[in-house]
Amino acid sequence: MTAAQFAALSPIVVLAIAAVAAMMLVPLARLQIVQAAAAAGLALAAAVALLRIGAPAAPMGALFTDDGPARFGIVFACLVSLGALVFLRTGHPAKEAPSLLVLVAIGAATLAGAGHAATLFLGVEILSLSLIALFAFRLTRQGLEAAYKFLVMSGLASSALLLGIALIFAETGALAFADWGGRGALTAFGTALLLAGLAFKFSLVPFHMWTPDAFEAAPASAATLAGVVSKSAVAIVILRLALSGHLPEPVWSQGLAALGGASVLIGNLLALRQPQLPRMLGYSTIAHSGYIALIIASGTPHAGEAVLFYLAIYAPAMLGALCVSAALGRAPTLPDLHGLMKRRPLEAIALSLSLLSLAGLPAAGGFIAKLFLLRVLIDGGLWVLVGIVVAGSSLGFFYYAKFFTAPFVGHTHDESEPLHRLDRGLLIVCIALIVIFGVAPAGLMNVVAATMAP
Amino acid sequence: MALIALILLPAIGGLVAFFAAGKGERERWVTIATFALMLVLLFAIVAAGDDGRWYDKVSYPWVPSFGISLEFAIDGLSAVMIALAAGLGIISVMASWSEIRTQSGLFHASLCWTVAATVGVFLSFDLLIFAFFWEAMLVPAFTLIAVWGHGDKEGAALKFLIFNAAAGFGLLAASFALAAMADHMTFSAFELAEMKLSTHVQVWMLLGFSLAFMVKLSVPPFHAWLPEAHTLAPTAGSILLAGLLLKTGAYGLFRFAPMLFPDGLAAVAPYGIALGAAGALYGGLVACGQNDAKRLVAYTSIAHMSIVLMGISAGVHYALAGAAVEMVAHSFSASALFLLIGALYERTHTRDLRQLGGLQQTAPKFAAAFALFCSALLALPGTANFVGEALVVVGIFQVNWVFALLALSTLIVSVIYATRLLKGLVFGLPQPKPPLADMSWREYWPIVVMGIGTLIVGLYPQSLLALLEPAIKAALIQTP
Repeated sequence: MTAAQFAALSPIVVLAIAAVAAMMLVPLARLQIVQAAAAAGLALAAAVALLRIGAPAAPMGALFTDDGPARFGIVFACLVSLGALVFLRTGHPAKEAPSLLVLVAIGAATLAGAGHAATLFLGVEILSLSLIALFAFRLTRQGLEAAYKFLVMSGLASSALLLGIALIFAETGALAFADWGGRGALTAFGTALLLAGLAFKFSLVPFHMWTPDAFEAAPASAATLAGVVSKSAVAIVILRLALSGHLPEPVWSQGLAALGGASVLIGNLLALRQPQLPRMLGYSTIAHSGYIALIIASGTPHAGEAVLFYLAIYAPAMLGALCVSAALGRAPTLPDLHGLMKRRPLEAIALSLSLLSLAGLPAAGGFIAKLFLLRVLIDGGLWVLVGIVVAGSSLGFFYYAKFFTAPFVGHTHDESEPLHRLDRGLLIVCIALIVIFGVAPAGLMNVVAATMAP
Repeated sequence: MALIALILLPAIGGLVAFFAAGKGERERWVTIATFALMLVLLFAIVAAGDDGRWYDKVSYPWVPSFGISLEFAIDGLSAVMIALAAGLGIISVMASWSEIRTQSGLFHASLCWTVAATVGVFLSFDLLIFAFFWEAMLVPAFTLIAVWGHGDKEGAALKFLIFNAAAGFGLLAASFALAAMADHMTFSAFELAEMKLSTHVQVWMLLGFSLAFMVKLSVPPFHAWLPEAHTLAPTAGSILLAGLLLKTGAYGLFRFAPMLFPDGLAAVAPYGIALGAAGALYGGLVACGQNDAKRLVAYTSIAHMSIVLMGISAGVHYALAGAAVEMVAHSFSASALFLLIGALYERTHTRDLRQLGGLQQTAPKFAAAFALFCSALLALPGTANFVGEALVVVGIFQVNWVFALLALSTLIVSVIYATRLLKGLVFGLPQPKPPLADMSWREYWPIVVMGIGTLIVGLYPQSLLALLEPAIKAALIQTP
């Protein structure tokens, strides 16, 4: 292994050491120390990955890719996991949780760099298994139900993925993405199965059933990991498969467009009448997966940039909303949010801004993400997809706006505890990012363009 | 830089008001000071401007890789609209002095941000920046209705938001399609206007833009959000909605339709006039049947905005001048009426015309103000509305006399609803029983200012037309 190759893999190595260290510290140290070790590992891995931005791509062989999206994915996974770790404290006082969280980040980082079916499968499995453990951690009935659903769905997804890979292998004799390129029936069928397997992880309709339950029953930190970290890693893999252009076009692109379009419409429709904040977020995340899938399916020149941009804007909004949801105790409903502005102004502002961003209204970042999405679709002349996006986001205004106003009207008594200063810090970071991305997006736009540049 | 300051000033003023709220009336004074400063700055910009069409014109890169720049320019039309925005802002603060007692910081911040976003709309010449402000104004306006409104305020606010935000996609999609046709990535309206597009393409693009503009103008059949939003909003919200937000639709149509799609607009002009005439008749007739005074005025807004649509579609000099004047005139008359009805509602807790009456005996100040603005509503000569509507009708006569007769007939309907409002409120037996307190001078002076404005423009229209002339010339699409 050359130095360049080691440098490319170093973030994952750092994460692996952190995961093991956090696990070994469990019997030895206090909870705070275990958490600090996990946080230090995530921060260090993110720093190492950030240092490599701009470095020439290392020749990695078939298993791992060291391209722009992979680096972006690693930094992204580390930073969002770090954010999730902040409110993991309240949801998971157990000492084993931080180690599992770092494992999720390892899975996401592996997946983001996957250039080979083996790495893809490895990443998916690391992600899913640690997520199941996190979902089930609290041993409540709902938590177990969410974990069980996710387990069954994951098993299905993994089998579909494996069978798909096997079918493609049967025709092309290759496992590296770069060597795929069969045009026969086996590859076509394999591609469909591969897509279905990834769609499970990406919670695209009709493979989305686990998402709202997970969001409702699992602790918010686990929901963040499932809804943001794991999802963006899968998005990057799908993007890489799409950009490579080796999979049979009609099955892959049109399949992705169909799944994406269905997710946008059905996700938004099902979110309409959800009275619970986390459940609503669960359905809204299905819709957002749909938007991202549509960007990738468009296959236009700026699609890669648009996906990374969308993920970067989506993350602080989802993180902020879920953090507020966690702060208000189990699964707050609309009436629970009433009068939030008077009781807890920071949470109210963070929640409203996050929802504004998810709805795609200015001056939050989501508006710019929506612009990018529309531009990509219109560049490709995909007017049907534009119509679907318009219909979907118009529905979206409805439920986001309902939750957006709730903090400013009425009164509700609540007994939940005031926020820890770390949570407050996280919310302030989310607010700042949402506003900065919304008002001065040029910086993020340049980063994303530089990331995608060959 | 001054133009950016004009947008930033209310945006920051809103933040200051938000955090200044607490004891005393600090947030109210901060908001008033913000709007007053805006007026001073605006005056300075206009006074310092050169003799050409644009007083000031700037362009800064925003997202260069996307071809978006902060391209702002101000001419007479923009200046008049911004002056209205700041003026109505001050009036809104005055009108809500006693009405708004909860979450006052957020309320005044929302006022400031609504004004900031509309000022952005009146200044932007980059289509995406325009769309940015276009959608940005929905959020604080939505908050105004949803938090401080009456009755089913959340339903009304949601309707307002969803109609307008969904229609905004038409604007966005057409902007992207337009930019995709340019030889390099740009959203600058000045550069896009140079493109030679076929009439067919122009019509499609115009329809995309118009979707957003028509919903904001609330021309039937795009008006369904308006009656509820206007009726259930707090007084300040109704003033800003009628005086300002509707005008952004008229402004967008006036500014961008002839500039970007002259052939397309000429092709669909007859439909525009017909739609406007139908809308004016519909709005007027429905207004005649209302018993809720606020709802009645809301429907007259539909009628008057339809007249503006007719004027812009006709595209001849008289009609355009009439549409521009009508925009200003309607801001005065509708805002003043909403203010008056709001003040009356605070005293009597009813807006039902059948339960009100006799103001001329109990509250002469109220009665005088209603008399003036009901006259404006029916476009009595001497008021600004007369100038606007008469010019539109004259202009349409040059295009097609059938449409002109239709336009005239809408004026007759306006007499019915205006006199009905006047009769129900001012004449008859004093109702409700305990005689109500007349308006205090703090409440009254905004009315006086708007009344003087209406009369000045009505008696000496050249004062306004001179400012608007360059923008009107630029919007001409055909010569009779």
